[in-house]
Amino acid sequence: MTSEPHAFFTLDAGSATLAAALIARVDGRWRLLAADAAPVGIPGDVLLRGLVDQVHAARPEALPDPAGWPDWTRVESRTWPPPRVVIAGPSDRSTDALARAFAADGWNVGTGITPERAGALEAAIALRDPGLDLVAVAAPDGLGGHEHEALLDVLALVGATAGLRDDLPVLVAGRGGSGRPDLPAERVRRTHGAGDAVPAARELVGRRRDGWSNDGRDAFVRSIASLAAVLDLRVEGVDVGLDAGTRVMAGPDGVMRRLVRADAALVPPEAVDDQRFLDAIARWSPLADDAFAIRDRLRNLRVAPWRDAAGDGARLRLAAARASLERLDAAWHDPARERHHDARGADRLADPVPLTAPDLVVVSGGAFAVPPAPAVALAIVDILRRPGAMALALDHARVLAPLGTIESEPDRRRMLADLADDILLPLGSVVVAPGLRAGHRGTLRVTADGASTSLPLTPGAVQVVDLPPGLSAAAELESPDDLFVGVRARRALFRVTGGLGGLLVDTRDMPLRLPDRPERRREFLDTWQRPFWTTAEP
Amino acid sequence: MATTLLDDRRAVTEPAGLSRVPRRSPPITAPLVTIGLRPGDEPLVVPGDRVSVGDPLLRRQRHPQVAEQPLRARSVPAPGTRFVEGAELGGSGRRALRYEGAGEVLYATPSGRLRAVVARHHAVVASPVTGTVRSIDPCALVVHAEGPALPAALAVGEPSHGTLVVAVDGPDAELHANQIDVRHAGAVLVAGSRVDIEGLTRARAMGVRGMIVGGVIGGDVVALRASIERQDASVHASPSFALVVLDGYGKRPVPRWTWDALVGAAGQEVGLGITPPLILLEPGAGMPVADPARVRVTAGPLLGRTGRFVRLLARRRRAAGVHQECALVELDPVALPGVAELIDVPLADLERDG
Repeated sequence: MTSEPHAFFTLDAGSATLAAALIARVDGRWRLLAADAAPVGIPGDVLLRGLVDQVHAARPEALPDPAGWPDWTRVESRTWPPPRVVIAGPSDRSTDALARAFAADGWNVGTGITPERAGALEAAIALRDPGLDLVAVAAPDGLGGHEHEALLDVLALVGATAGLRDDLPVLVAGRGGSGRPDLPAERVRRTHGAGDAVPAARELVGRRRDGWSNDGRDAFVRSIASLAAVLDLRVEGVDVGLDAGTRVMAGPDGVMRRLVRADAALVPPEAVDDQRFLDAIARWSPLADDAFAIRDRLRNLRVAPWRDAAGDGARLRLAAARASLERLDAAWHDPARERHHDARGADRLADPVPLTAPDLVVVSGGAFAVPPAPAVALAIVDILRRPGAMALALDHARVLAPLGTIESEPDRRRMLADLADDILLPLGSVVVAPGLRAGHRGTLRVTADGASTSLPLTPGAVQVVDLPPGLSAAAELESPDDLFVGVRARRALFRVTGGLGGLLVDTRDMPLRLPDRPERRREFLDTWQRPFWTTAEP
Repeated sequence: MATTLLDDRRAVTEPAGLSRVPRRSPPITAPLVTIGLRPGDEPLVVPGDRVSVGDPLLRRQRHPQVAEQPLRARSVPAPGTRFVEGAELGGSGRRALRYEGAGEVLYATPSGRLRAVVARHHAVVASPVTGTVRSIDPCALVVHAEGPALPAALAVGEPSHGTLVVAVDGPDAELHANQIDVRHAGAVLVAGSRVDIEGLTRARAMGVRGMIVGGVIGGDVVALRASIERQDASVHASPSFALVVLDGYGKRPVPRWTWDALVGAAGQEVGLGITPPLILLEPGAGMPVADPARVRVTAGPLLGRTGRFVRLLARRRRAAGVHQECALVELDPVALPGVAELIDVPLADLERDG
């Protein structure tokens, strides 16, 4: 933004819904005054006009002249379906690092073109797919024998297709095969290796889609980093959308780790025709419907994600969100990720993933917007299980991504410092403390405002303590066995904050074990989740 | 009541809050229909050609294979070069390269061999629409249709065309396999709210060229794809077949406005597009008049019911403690003629006609 308006809008245009918010300067600080969301297709101006009317009716003095709202600044972010890349190379082994690098940046990575996976015809068909945004060739230097020949063969095939398709950019990662005349030099970009391939690929593809400057997923990452600096906390951001899932860990010094995965979308497109994929999602469903009906409901979640959002539809949506988080978490902890090629192509260890809980987890995205807060909190705890205590919050107005498009870091931090209380809906706090043996009992003591409550601590359960938003408390756990709360201890004390879901104390196993038999698993999930859903009919 | 200005600049009056209801995908005027091209496909038209429904667009290889010949000292034909069976490539006479079968040059390997995709048998892909060939590139052939098209949720199979036959009594009726027979050969059937794999298989066996349904079981889509692949792998080519699904998965009534449009087009030649999923109507086909205040319920126990948007309601708490913005809808009478029901429906579960 170049000027400071008294009021402005944020717009987060996702693949399924459009979220809008009205922010204005009130009593010397920025405040979130109203927010709304609607399915894609509803014009943004309809939402914005509604927000202005709403605020003007309740507090007219908070806004400048409402008649001028069409001219107010709009801070916008947008998410696109992930760009598609095909990775080619002389062997599966050589393409692995490149495929992982693209997958971790949210690209939709197609089946690889290697001698092991595809013949010339399959490869030519894959390269002529009109939906393909980029072909990336893994071309490590110093290959010998068959691998060198295979690389030259792949480069010749890619070069032939590039000669036919002037709309397909080609990226070659590595110096292998350089000097060959197969590739049209003006359309090909070479990088040192997998480490610097993705930024170069973004530049190549970005030219075709007006850049990435307001990309919602990148912007969300920037906002989480700014938020961590403003709050001086370790903050984890998780966003599950229709087309991708994003996870970022940031501390006061900046982003520690970032991951965007196309396959961590709520219901990825490839799941629609893949029964095993759908069943893996349905594994988290507490619904008693037959498997065919649940699969079709999941497919409909892909076709029209805004429909059927109440009742069982809400439960199924949260089951799909759980499965997305599970895929995101698996990629986050993927042991093969620990080694990768740096910008100069050298093989090195990646930064370790922090194993203990962050101070604050912020969740965002349409998947979490509808279900009741306690159910969302339990879904997070079920999947993102780290020992220790953490606070949970929801980016309910989906403001973080638009604010992440503000170019100036100081401006963004100032904005977030003012808005943090308004835009982060407190879901509650969670203490994950496995280790209590079956048949043993511990004690949970919660002290707030001088009053103390003691509860028995039972093994393998989630207990909820009513702790309203705005209240801070001390949670003390005592156990006859060693509890694992980051360290092993029989007594542990945490500072926790309240929220709509209260305080959740979780003594279940890590990782969470679910029964294999579908009916038994469904009963398990239903028993766990039932207290967290408000079941009363309207 | 609020006054809004629609795209056609006609000022109309609509109930306040109706603009918050998602619109049905409107008919597309003169859509672009894409036919995907594979290596070895041979276009039979050029950009600018006018084509009618059923005109041949391209010759598609059946059972294509990659064949290679040593180049030795011959000149290298450019990738994408098409050739007929026995044609001389990269030289002439005894030094020329020849392939057994017609095809297309893929690329020359660094080891000095020319790879091409060849086939002995071909099938002709016909145009599903009347229009003008807009572009042809190695990936796709695009036809700019002259008539309007109704968008759908998904489509399976190959672009197809046939005479439109409404084979069920109403939008929520189902077409069973035993209702399909040889009378329907060459037709595109409107099959109501659902068709199962038995019905799809029988339809293909009877020479039906396509089916239009409100919903389909996802497992049946997977089975249909597998069936089409098996048919492609067989010796004899079968006529193209397309399944076009209008509203999603499961049993879903054909949306009322689309039903009216299809009934109006019965007996005419229609095309079915796959990319994107479209029902392609003849140029000049009439469309039902859309009433802006008409809405359709798109989820829940009232799925498929239609009615009139009355007014926007405040945010309401619904099943499972979910809070949603709702609208008051006067449903069209079903059981007792003349007796309308007033009911609140979440905005997200509504779709407006106009």
